[in-house]
Amino acid sequence: MEASESGAAFKKETVFKLLSLYFKDVKTKVSNDAVVLMAEMLKIFVKEAAIRASKQAHTEDLDCVQVEHFEKILPQLLLDF
Amino acid sequence: MADTEEQRNFTQTQRLKAAVHYTTGLFCQEVAEDKEVEFSKQTIAAIAETTFRQCEIFARDLEAFARHAKRTTVNAEDVKLTARRSNALFSFITQRSEELVSNNQEQKEKRKKAGGKAKKKSDAPLQSGMDEDEDSNMA
Repeated sequence: MEASESGAAFKKETVFKLLSLYFKDVKTKVSNDAVVLMAEMLKIFVKEAAIRASKQAHTEDLDCVQVEHFEKILPQLLLDF
Repeated sequence: MADTEEQRNFTQTQRLKAAVHYTTGLFCQEVAEDKEVEFSKQTIAAIAETTFRQCEIFARDLEAFARHAKRTTVNAEDVKLTARRSNALFSFITQRSEELVSNNQEQKEKRKKAGGKAKKKSDAPLQSGMDEDEDSNMA
């Protein structure tokens, strides 16, 4: 079996536990589709963060992405999500 | 015994953070290969930490949306609402959601034809041991 979803992905159980951790009501549950979609959301979040940070590093003519590059793109990233 | 429960919550949080960190590392590796750059360890850690904290915002939003719709189960519609801020993101999530729905329809029809036990998967609350859906997401 090749790697699922063409590469890395958040495991459904991890996403489920992550969300459940912050639910205020114990009765709140998550549908299977919602978990899958949230895994996608998180994947996009991480990839956007990584790609934007790498573009920032590229703009500064560097090929190693440092925290400062991530910090520079962080505000816009959070606004976009 | 509040201490033990606190400790247990702490350990679980640590484990979740570690899981997020690991997967974040994998994603960064993919991007690194794609864009031909390198990510410092601190950067990966920072992205992982931010993702972890963003989950809290997502979770609270999802719960609030579901409650607003007078439901106890968060569903795909709630997730779509969470993606409302960016048009591109919203379109992407809506598209994925529709793919999932059509996949579920197909699987339901297959099961009906096979005449096996009818298992409702798509909108039922998540239980452990669901492996089939991961395959259906291969695009």
